[in-house]
Amino acid sequence: MCDDQGVHTSPPPAPERLPLRRPPSGQRIAGVCLGLAAHLDIDVRHVRLGMIVAALAGGLGFVLYAFLWITVPRGDPWYEGAYHAGSARAAPPLAAPHTPSGPNMAAHPVFATPWWSRIPLRDLAVGAMLVTTAVLLVADRLGAQLQWTLVLSVIVVVIGLVLAWGQLNESQRGTFAATVGGRSPSSLMRVTGGIALVVLGVILILSQEQGPQMLVPALVSAVAVLVGAGLVLAPWWLRLARQLTEERASNARAKERADIAAHLHDSVLQTLALIQRSADQPGEITRLARNQERELRQWLYQETPKEGTSTQEAARDIIATVENDMTAALGGQHPVTIDLVVVGDTPPDPTTHAVLQALAEASKNAVRHGKPPVSVYLEITDTAIDASVTDRGPGFRLDDVPNDRFGVRESIIGRIERRGGIARYRSLAAGGTELRLTVPRTLGATHSPASAQSEKS
Amino acid sequence: MTTPIRIAIIDDHAMFRAGVRASLPDTLHVIGEAGDVDTAVQILHDTPPDVVLLDVHMPGGGGGGGAEVLTRCADLHNRVKFLALSVSDAAEDVVAVIRAGARGYVTKNINPTELSDAVARVHDGDAVFSPRLAGFVLDAFGTATTDLATADDELDRLSAREQEVMRLIARGYAYKEVASELFISVKTVESHVSAVLRKLQLSSRHELTRWAAARRLL
Repeated sequence: MCDDQGVHTSPPPAPERLPLRRPPSGQRIAGVCLGLAAHLDIDVRHVRLGMIVAALAGGLGFVLYAFLWITVPRGDPWYEGAYHAGSARAAPPLAAPHTPSGPNMAAHPVFATPWWSRIPLRDLAVGAMLVTTAVLLVADRLGAQLQWTLVLSVIVVVIGLVLAWGQLNESQRGTFAATVGGRSPSSLMRVTGGIALVVLGVILILSQEQGPQMLVPALVSAVAVLVGAGLVLAPWWLRLARQLTEERASNARAKERADIAAHLHDSVLQTLALIQRSADQPGEITRLARNQERELRQWLYQETPKEGTSTQEAARDIIATVENDMTAALGGQHPVTIDLVVVGDTPPDPTTHAVLQALAEASKNAVRHGKPPVSVYLEITDTAIDASVTDRGPGFRLDDVPNDRFGVRESIIGRIERRGGIARYRSLAAGGTELRLTVPRTLGATHSPASAQSEKS
Repeated sequence: MTTPIRIAIIDDHAMFRAGVRASLPDTLHVIGEAGDVDTAVQILHDTPPDVVLLDVHMPGGGGGGGAEVLTRCADLHNRVKFLALSVSDAAEDVVAVIRAGARGYVTKNINPTELSDAVARVHDGDAVFSPRLAGFVLDAFGTATTDLATADDELDRLSAREQEVMRLIARGYAYKEVASELFISVKTVESHVSAVLRKLQLSSRHELTRWAAARRLL
């Protein structure tokens, strides 16, 4: 367990300007205007208006928009501004003039990434496009007969490619969970649209020479080739997808295992150490073991309801506390185990609180005066709460308890009777004592607030 | 009990097997041991014992643990009785093996006398319920009076008597104490408990399924 990430936790200085990114949501076309607005910290409507005006004025807006679309990476400017400003600033520039063969380069995170991700694809594409445009314009100016239909077809193909490859680029970046793995509907639409555009462009190029009567056969054969290629490649693609899923699952398993290892180290080994130290105290060992079991079970099954929503949980807590307290009270020499069975559940209310307090008091008495096993039973129905505390002691008669002894009379019987319930002690034929309490639940709801107050004291 | 009961211990912890073997009285004769699902299924088919002490969590096979052994030994169920053993009283551990055909279950911290009693009871065809399992049954079948079965053969409900018996067991009463509390014989208590076990195994009651599903048991 190395946890040295938490060392450099000085908060990164707030960036004076958000990074230029195309946000993943809220955009009209590709998020260029939205990202620009966030970067320049001005109203997005102004940016859009300016862009439209520029587009109408001789197409400058179109070029600018396309340029930014290609060059600005997708990302959430607010998120990255808040969390990655510090690290982004500290990172060395990507185009650092080092040769990757340097001795300490492999360890550097930038050079640890695969080689192809270091090729500035975007820059290359933009450069190639600009150069091509310039060459075309110069050729046109020089009087060459350019076939503009051909140029348009090529542009269609290029846009299709950008659409499809942009998807790949994003899944590599893995910024957004939805686009990872390329399963989101929008990424599917991008790929489909990209392919359609490329097919269309290729057909347009090919049908330059032949007339439009060749268009339909060309379209049919192109689609046929695509379908055939798809059928051939489908198994391979499926296998890739499956491998990816498996790898993810094994990653999740490894993480879970690490969690368990950390937990075992933190709590179970601690408990084992404590148990070894208290080898001469059988009661203490039982207490430690039972606490650890409770904790481990809770942790493994993760079924703990929210605090204050479950009487079952409250009962378990209170009985665990009694076990712990009584072990300490008996000097750690005697194992204290109380078997608790709860049937039904309800959100805690004053009535359940009173019953649990009475049960806790009664089980303390049972541990102190009776013999194990001590059993606590709690049944919660819509109409009543029925509970019992049973031990195997010599038996017990309420009449034998002097009147000045407050425990049983006040904190058990009194508490229950104030709630309109009945609490009775009796001796079992086979030996042992049983306290049974029954409290009606409808009465608890309409109980006078005065006695509810006295209950909390 | 003139002829000893032949038992098999199926548990992946060799230490636990040795401990049980050492603590058992002469009336119980251990004829087989296994530490994983596949070995268990094989030795049980090779030499079927009278009673199997079956751990709930075990490696091997399809990963189903004790419940898997029970389903793969379904052909032996009329000859061999299964008593499930679990490290704790948790519903998660136990209801699956009961549904798969175990005749009862005990926790591993049970003392040797109680264990041999439980084995003898299971061998006689009776069921062994702990307080916690009785609590589960009450929880799953419902405790309201409207849930009571009018005829005893209704699978989805407990009869009034069965509910009373379950409640007393859940309170921590031994079978003998239940019998004297209800003024019936121990044999009657046992038959009630067996009936409840049958209902627990066969019932398709919606609440039971939902209850088990909520705890990821089915």
